[in-house]
Amino acid sequence: MEEKPTTPDAVPQWQLDLDKVGFVRRLFLARKWYGGDWWFVAVSAVLLLFIILLGAAPQWFAPYDPRAEVGPALLAPGEVPLGYVLVVPAGSTTTSIKDIGTNKNNIGFVVGSPASQALRKTTDELNAAEKEAGTGITYQPRPRRYETNELGLADLASGKIDGFVASMEELEPLLPNFPGVKVVGNLSGNTRTFTLGTNQLGQDVLSRVIWGTRIALIVGLSSAIAAFLLGVPLGLISGFVGGPFDRILTMLMDSLYSFPGLILAIAIAAVLGAGIGNVIVAIAVLYIPTYFRIVRGQTLSVKNDLYVEAARSLGTPPWQILTKYILPNVIPSVVIIFSVNVADAILTEAGLSFLGLGLPPDTPDWGIDLARGQDYIRRAWWLITYPGLMVSLVTLSFSMLGESLAEILNPRLAEL
Amino acid sequence: MKTQLFSKETENLVEIQDLKKWFPVQKSFLDQLLAGRKDFVRAVDGVSFNIRRGEAFGLAGESGSGKTTIGRLAIGLETPTEGKVIFDGIDLGRQNEGELRRLRRRMQVIFQDPMASLNPRMTLGDSVVQGLKIHYPEAAEKHRDTLLEIFERVGLTPARYFINKYPHQISGGQRQRVVIARALITRPELVLADEPIAMADVSVRALLLDLMVQLKQEFNLTYLFITHDLATAKYICDRIGILYLGRMAEIGDLKEVYSRPLHPYTQALLTAVPVPDPHKRRTKSMPAGEIPNPINPPSGCRFHPRCPIAQAVCAQQEPELRELRPGHQAACHFAEQFL
Amino acid sequence: MNDTTPLVQIRDLTVTYKTRLGPTSAVDKVSFDIRRGEILGLVGESGCGKSTLGKALLRMITPPGRISAGQILFNGEDILTFDEKRLRDYRGRQASMIFQDPMTSLNPVQTVEQHLVEAVEVHEGQTQSADIVRRIKTLMERLGIMQSRLASYPHQLSGGMRQRVMISLGLVLNAGLIIADEATTSLDVIVEAKLVDQLREIRDEYGVSILAITHNIALVAEMADRVAVMYAGNLVELGEVNRIFDWPLHPYTQGLLASVPTIEIHERKELFKMPGEPPNLARPPAGCRFHPRCPAAMSICSRHRPGLQEAAPGHWVHCWLYQDHPEKEEKTLKAAA
Repeated sequence: MEEKPTTPDAVPQWQLDLDKVGFVRRLFLARKWYGGDWWFVAVSAVLLLFIILLGAAPQWFAPYDPRAEVGPALLAPGEVPLGYVLVVPAGSTTTSIKDIGTNKNNIGFVVGSPASQALRKTTDELNAAEKEAGTGITYQPRPRRYETNELGLADLASGKIDGFVASMEELEPLLPNFPGVKVVGNLSGNTRTFTLGTNQLGQDVLSRVIWGTRIALIVGLSSAIAAFLLGVPLGLISGFVGGPFDRILTMLMDSLYSFPGLILAIAIAAVLGAGIGNVIVAIAVLYIPTYFRIVRGQTLSVKNDLYVEAARSLGTPPWQILTKYILPNVIPSVVIIFSVNVADAILTEAGLSFLGLGLPPDTPDWGIDLARGQDYIRRAWWLITYPGLMVSLVTLSFSMLGESLAEILNPRLAEL
Repeated sequence: MKTQLFSKETENLVEIQDLKKWFPVQKSFLDQLLAGRKDFVRAVDGVSFNIRRGEAFGLAGESGSGKTTIGRLAIGLETPTEGKVIFDGIDLGRQNEGELRRLRRRMQVIFQDPMASLNPRMTLGDSVVQGLKIHYPEAAEKHRDTLLEIFERVGLTPARYFINKYPHQISGGQRQRVVIARALITRPELVLADEPIAMADVSVRALLLDLMVQLKQEFNLTYLFITHDLATAKYICDRIGILYLGRMAEIGDLKEVYSRPLHPYTQALLTAVPVPDPHKRRTKSMPAGEIPNPINPPSGCRFHPRCPIAQAVCAQQEPELRELRPGHQAACHFAEQFL
Repeated sequence: MNDTTPLVQIRDLTVTYKTRLGPTSAVDKVSFDIRRGEILGLVGESGCGKSTLGKALLRMITPPGRISAGQILFNGEDILTFDEKRLRDYRGRQASMIFQDPMTSLNPVQTVEQHLVEAVEVHEGQTQSADIVRRIKTLMERLGIMQSRLASYPHQLSGGMRQRVMISLGLVLNAGLIIADEATTSLDVIVEAKLVDQLREIRDEYGVSILAITHNIALVAEMADRVAVMYAGNLVELGEVNRIFDWPLHPYTQGLLASVPTIEIHERKELFKMPGEPPNLARPPAGCRFHPRCPAAMSICSRHRPGLQEAAPGHWVHCWLYQDHPEKEEKTLKAAA
């Protein structure tokens, strides 16, 4: 019976202490060692979660259907869409038509104008609402007809009538001449605004921006994943096997890589034709060389590391060397590239749709919106500002994620 | 003539026959064209020796001696330019990839740098058990037990704690034990130890040396121990070969070579090694010059430009290894004067 | 002119590093002298703080480390108070360093001659170039470097040669102190032996003091006049080389010396195996840092830290075995003189 040798090392206490360093603790340790980076991780994580939520369930956030024309065109953010308005004497305390809705009140409008229909419609709606509520109130102001807006406004100013109804468009040029009157707002009392305004087709910018997240994420992630799935194995095998296969593949990849990105994507998209699938393919092809190069370079260097040699001397078959020894040591660098890549893919997708390639024209997509809005920079700055802001935000959060991953994935955070 | 009980059993586990390994200096055709000639680094330039079953054979030398290359050739990690490596009667050069890989089970390596030779992304347990998974896949249910056993045996207790750790979570001395465990788990016959304790702390070296000696006994191992540290070699090697610039200068029983060296280079080496005793400081002077370029070794005896007893013939004729005493050989024209 | 005051006086030097696990004191209240013209061997394992100490002597500690306490007196002046200008003069001209890897310490695009000339010009702007060349030539002869080597680039030189160039960089400016930090670790044994001879000759001829930092005990026995042993940031023993090797007092020194292999056939057949591992300096053991591994540990050792005391003339130990303390129950040992 052999005697176990007296080995002097029981596990030292500090080594056991170090084991208590779990993942969460590691995050905090990262903060102590690297200074402020923990907040980097926190911020990018929160941003990213928010963006993913937007993309996954845009219908929860978007107030309108992005394709529906829900309001007047080119409405500024927060601006109330003024259709038909109620004008009252300057000194009056009236705030809406409800105040002057009794049959003792006189409300004027131009004879035969759509304003009269609007007035009738509004009173009907209000009465219906009151009937439902069972209040028994009826609004029945007495109509006074005028030939022109000016005559009506003059009477309003002198107090002969309580209110006047017309469209804002008509009233705008006249109002400066009648200081005795003021506009109290929409006839229907509608004060709902569009948070980010509307575009030239009357579509809600906010909804379009939110729905655009979905497209961006789908295209960005899919193309990045596709490029990853093709580029990484090719790089691995090429770097490992070497020889003429490696040389030919590298030449191919290098020529793809040397193309200016967007131009290549344009070429491919033009060849493949329209459709979201083709866009994804075009962008994926664009990024395959990136993964290939990085992985191949890493493989070449890891291939010569001592532990790979040790694996070889154990008798490990080449396939296992590739998957168990080389791949795990190559992957961390690629993961970081991946997250930055997604950001880049989103940008490229925006660029492609900006140029009108790929996605159907009415798709709620940031690139398309940017393209459509570029003619309106002066008049309606919000058309490009918000989609542009979203592109930057998403790009930023993916890049931040990539940077923070580099810290967390580093196994040396729990080192001795 | 010894009667052999087992017809397959040879006395020599490893036979190195006239081994040469030359590395081209100019890597590509274009470099060659520009240089006008083909240069080679003659890392190993005609070395022959045998390693007997069950012995610890030391291969010592300074930089450029070729000791590491010979080690790698001996276990088939490199193919020789010329010459043969015979392992248990099998010519390694004639094996194909698959056969060679299967032979690996019987010859394992302990590398110099434990941190670099362990996969940073594999747990220690995984790294060590790979040998079993590759060579004994059918006995999968026994793997874990064998793994825990070997960890305990090399002193990494409690084993259950260590098998889940990563290389960067343990100390250098512990890492080297893991490397030893990995080498021994398949019960090899030959273990190539390439400067195994050079990177360990001074106070840990004695432990590792002791461990290796014990394991040799228990596991019935044969060591090919490569080192530049002659003092350490004394504690583990039975026989030793001294290399100089790709050729064997002297070979024999370690105690004899150390106490009565026959080659001037060996003598210089032994004098140069510092002794941890201030009363025994070196008084002799060292040979002039430095180790020459292995691309263009000196003519004749490679040591002759620096040798204190060199004569005309030394520059013209390269001496062969001659047996000057039983089991003790030296490659020097004038070694007799030291007998 | 025979100045007997020490060249360097280190008093309570402490160097701390900020690490993930907290502040670690890589060098903890270390005090000793380096005498003029002596070769002092600073010995210890990796992590004991010897390299850090060497760097501190040239004030080359970079963040996250810093010299947090103590004094380093060079020729009576505390170098920790030097400003940038004074420091630059000190480094290279008064104290110089040789590193382990000579390849990376020499500028690959400068020839040997350019290195030397630059060194002189930086420190002694007014010296004539004719004088500089003459000095360099004499020095090369003295160090055994052939004149033809002056025009070589570092990659054309061998390891031993490069180390000699490093030495010459210190000597050309007549430095008083050369710090050799594992200067021979990467060299072959014969080249190492020649370099050791060289260092001794330089000391004899120029009177420089040499601080040889190494983990190689045998090397220290070969070349040092005095030996300082460090463990886990503390200086545990200091004395004449013969005394340290013949009568080591500190249990760590005793263990260390007994565990070193020797090439002599009939000596030391068995090596002593020291139990345990060096501690993590972020959580050092309380009291004496060696006590968890010490065969002679007493109860006081885990509570209080002993100071460095002169147990015999010229022989200093950092150990409770040789010191008194009110709480100590055991007898104090007396070291033979």
